[in-house]
Amino acid sequence: MSDYVLELKGITKIFPGVKALNNVQFQLKPGEVHALMGENGAGKSTFIKVITGVHKAEEGEMYLFGEKVDFKGPKDAQAAGIAAVYQHPTSYPHLSVAENIFMGHEIIKHKMIQWKAMNEEANKLLKQLNADFDATAEMGTLSVAQQQMVEIAKALSTHAKIVILDEPTASLTRRESEELYRIVDQLKEEGVSIIFISHRFEDMYRLASRVTVFRDSQYIGTYDVDGITNADLIKAMVGREIKDLFPKPEVEIGEEMLRIEGLSRTGYYKNVSFNVHAGEIVGLTGLVGAGRTEVVESVCGITRPDEGKVYLEGQEVHIKQPSDAMEKGIILLPEDRQKEGLIMSWGLGRNVTLPTISKYAKNGLNDEKTERDLAKKLLEEVDTKAVDIFQPASSLSGGNQQKVVVAKALSQEMKVVIMDEPTKGVDVGAKAEIYAIMGDLAKKGYAIILISSEMPEILGMADRIIVMCNGRKTGELDRNEATQERILELAMEKSQNAGEGAAK
Amino acid sequence: MEKKSIMKKITGSREALLAVILILLCLVVTAISPSFLTPKSIIELLKNNAVTLVMSLGMLCVMLVGGIDISIMSTLALSGMSIGMLLKYGHISNTFLAFVIAIAIGAACGAVVGLVISRAAVPPIIATMGFMYVFRAMGYLVSHGGEWAGAAALGSFKNFATSKFLGLNCVIWIIILCYVFFFWFMKWTRTGRKIYAVGSNPSAAEVSGINVKNINLLVYTIMGILAGLGGALQVSIYASAMPDMQYGGEMDVIAACVIGGVSMSGGRGTVVGALLGSLILATIAKALPLVGIGALWQNTIKGVLILVVVVVNVVLQRVADRNALKGREM
Amino acid sequence: MAGKSGRSINNVPESPIKHMIFSWEGILVVLFILVNIFCKGFSEYYNLENLLRQMPVYLAEVFLMIPMAYILVLGEIDISVGATVCLSATLSCMMCNTGAPFIVVILTALIVGTVCGAVNGFILTQFEELPPMIVTLATQIIFCGIAEIVLGSGGSISASNTDGFRLIGGKVGKVPYILFLVLILAVIFAVILGKSTFGRRVYAIGTNRLTAYYSGIHVKKIRFIIYTVMGTFCGLCALFLVASSYGANTTTGNGFEMDAIAMAVFGGISSTGGKGNLAGGLISAFIIVCLRVGLGQRNVHAQVILLIIGVLLICAVALPNIIENVKRAVKK
Repeated sequence: MSDYVLELKGITKIFPGVKALNNVQFQLKPGEVHALMGENGAGKSTFIKVITGVHKAEEGEMYLFGEKVDFKGPKDAQAAGIAAVYQHPTSYPHLSVAENIFMGHEIIKHKMIQWKAMNEEANKLLKQLNADFDATAEMGTLSVAQQQMVEIAKALSTHAKIVILDEPTASLTRRESEELYRIVDQLKEEGVSIIFISHRFEDMYRLASRVTVFRDSQYIGTYDVDGITNADLIKAMVGREIKDLFPKPEVEIGEEMLRIEGLSRTGYYKNVSFNVHAGEIVGLTGLVGAGRTEVVESVCGITRPDEGKVYLEGQEVHIKQPSDAMEKGIILLPEDRQKEGLIMSWGLGRNVTLPTISKYAKNGLNDEKTERDLAKKLLEEVDTKAVDIFQPASSLSGGNQQKVVVAKALSQEMKVVIMDEPTKGVDVGAKAEIYAIMGDLAKKGYAIILISSEMPEILGMADRIIVMCNGRKTGELDRNEATQERILELAMEKSQNAGEGAAK
Repeated sequence: MEKKSIMKKITGSREALLAVILILLCLVVTAISPSFLTPKSIIELLKNNAVTLVMSLGMLCVMLVGGIDISIMSTLALSGMSIGMLLKYGHISNTFLAFVIAIAIGAACGAVVGLVISRAAVPPIIATMGFMYVFRAMGYLVSHGGEWAGAAALGSFKNFATSKFLGLNCVIWIIILCYVFFFWFMKWTRTGRKIYAVGSNPSAAEVSGINVKNINLLVYTIMGILAGLGGALQVSIYASAMPDMQYGGEMDVIAACVIGGVSMSGGRGTVVGALLGSLILATIAKALPLVGIGALWQNTIKGVLILVVVVVNVVLQRVADRNALKGREM
Repeated sequence: MAGKSGRSINNVPESPIKHMIFSWEGILVVLFILVNIFCKGFSEYYNLENLLRQMPVYLAEVFLMIPMAYILVLGEIDISVGATVCLSATLSCMMCNTGAPFIVVILTALIVGTVCGAVNGFILTQFEELPPMIVTLATQIIFCGIAEIVLGSGGSISASNTDGFRLIGGKVGKVPYILFLVLILAVIFAVILGKSTFGRRVYAIGTNRLTAYYSGIHVKKIRFIIYTVMGTFCGLCALFLVASSYGANTTTGNGFEMDAIAMAVFGGISSTGGKGNLAGGLISAFIIVCLRVGLGQRNVHAQVILLIIGVLLICAVALPNIIENVKRAVKK
């Protein structure tokens, strides 16, 4: 018997053109909570998929309870006692909780599904987790936190020895997170080993005894949580001093460009006010689900706010649809490049000119020559790594796709640029380039709003930082006074009614 | 919060709401025409709507996986016409054999549709639109270009619809058997639940090891089998087989399912809902002439009914979503 | 912020000629020639003169293919077109029988069609959650049902004053007016789809509706316009149908939705949106028209022709997918 319940050695996973994992290792002790940390794109998710049998590694060995295993598919991993709970629950919204828990391993007798037994069993599991809903409830009516609880119950129902939690707290409120911590503690007491992926240092300190860090598809190290400082951990994750990565130019801050006052949308955000000046980069941060994207989407006319006013250069503007915002120079670079930002099967050139085609059209007919020249100019300006403007956007890497989105914005008359998670899923090298572009834009006098969940990015680039929590603005910090701790404090409700207290 | 729970009750137990509507409808019709609620009239109603009742079970399965099948009445005509001609020219005379042949033809048609949709990835509406004309035309070819098989030609086969078993009409028995079987199949078997799973979240189903393609093939084959059965019933009940029978009848079946709460996007719908939907549609059809609305109006009213039901669903969903958002603490 | 690496990105398009020969449209042209040779060999009556004489009935359906191509490019479908044609034909016959001037009859047909299309468009843009399939399925029953109510128990109506219809059914020499109209409209709409900003936006919506919306495209407005124009073309189709039969009945326009979709899909316009162009649609429409005339000359039963078109439709969608599957299997 080995000391570890799970041990992986020399795992290498290659996707077409990229090494997603390069010779990484990992050890999980019995009954421990092991945090797995690293930036987006560091290879954590791929690693989890190798463990759960979704991906097959090209090289490397995996030992479960000291024995070498070779999973052919997710079912093998499940049978071996490994269960994963993903950030976005992969459930059946129309079916009952009990059915979701037992999908694939229903309780069958005489070829018939035993509903009563299944419901009882499911309720037993839910009670163990202190859940406040019944096994007969419909999955789709539950909150994300409750759905996650169902996923955990599902893991329990398969008598999993190893449970993997992939960013489980990302979309939970403070109180829901506390509930999750309690469940994890309980699982630990029952002897289940847990791998916990999270961006939140809080999660790690609260739960884990050890932490393993990945960076750029490589294994960096495993540390005892008690013996490591924040700074060390960040350095391990990012791999360099923060200053080098963020070429923040000194820009003189000009007139106020955009001001929003008391913006509210029922169920999404409430009474949000802030402003941006020319040449200024305002960071908008908070946990996933805090309402950041929703606020800027309302500013850009994607959705309509219920209340509140938007002023552009001191004048109140009424924006009813995306085209209104674009005409006025408020340009959004959406969060999801592939679904909202680009048409993946189209050539780069057509993507770049999509919002502005009517500008150079003659009598309603496209002027393709002008379009091509413009696309070439803009794509070269942002230094896109591409062969020609006709290759489909899907053929580019994440970072270059983001550059195409920037070029698309540049084709328009801009005053305010809103970048929503511009470096999500982008490798470190390309990240630096995007930061450089951002700095250039600020230098040119555009007002920039940067939405980001990545703390170093916000601290490194923003002149001013606005923190949101649970649909409200909880604070505003100047570049000089901002620290990781202060932001986290504001981003997570300290108590039920911290919202009003912390707001400036 | 108070409001939300009421909303939830209405949208949650749709069957209860449908049952209430059906009972109210029956009461109204009985008030106008007291003979409506007699056993004889009820049996007559069920018999006349047997085809819709049986086939809405198949449509339930198809719609549960997010598909649609508008070729079903062509399949019905092909299978019904085939046995009609076989009986007419004396190739077969056994009633049971005729049913088996009709069902086999239906199953074959359904399997072909299912293969084209699941394996060649043709959108269901386009595939079944094509097959609607293909099967209908095959029905014509089988009938030697429009020949009928009248009552005289059908021999003992037509007696099936009038004969009784244990004091109850055989057609009613078939309806009951179908519903009991499907009630069991959809609720209590793994395969039945897989159909729900595929409709609710196909990618999750794929991950948990369900063969989504085979489930798609299965539901269209089930639909075909029931269309074949419908063909045999149609020929027997109306004692004639003609190539253009039940033309446009697929709308009744779809309407029954939509009214019965089967979602167009898959995942939601029950056997009881399909039953209640079919019965409500049948009762309305019966009630319209009683309140002085001619048969000519039937189709329009059916169409409006479908439209109203789907639009009301959307509106209810929006209200429910908005209430859920209002309830979000901030 | 000039590109730091000075990398140059090519923006000179490839010569379109090579592309043209090996495209789906190229194959269709070859097919078109083959069909004509084939039909000629099939029947001694199949010649240009006969073709031109028999064409008008089938050409009316080509009107429907034109906006249907737009709807398919949007990634949507309209099943109610046949019913709209039926209603439009019925009401214009009735208007004709009231003795109204012919221009009013024409307007009736067009307005009825446009209103039907606008109803579809309105419902689909107000309730964007609804799939077009179910909405147009329901409106199909409704439009057809209204025609049934209007026609009454007889189920048919004939135009009492056929002068006007005879006029639009007329010819220049041997070439019927309708052929000119179809060609002119097809060219105009092909240019709009292929070359205009409107067309580009239609493709954008059909390929990725969300990105289109985020890029400032008026998705609702464009969808509404297209469904409404679909209705107007149904009215046009109805007019020429009446011009060839001087009447309407409950089966008028029956199955036209499949014909229109088959023509478009067979012409290389993807049923899942974003792909294809009207040139392909037009060529395939003429292939189908020639096929119908040719088969009609041989006295092939109408049902068999429907069967052939049904098979054509399914194969046109299925074959590329099957080829793709086989390719992938071979690669593995």
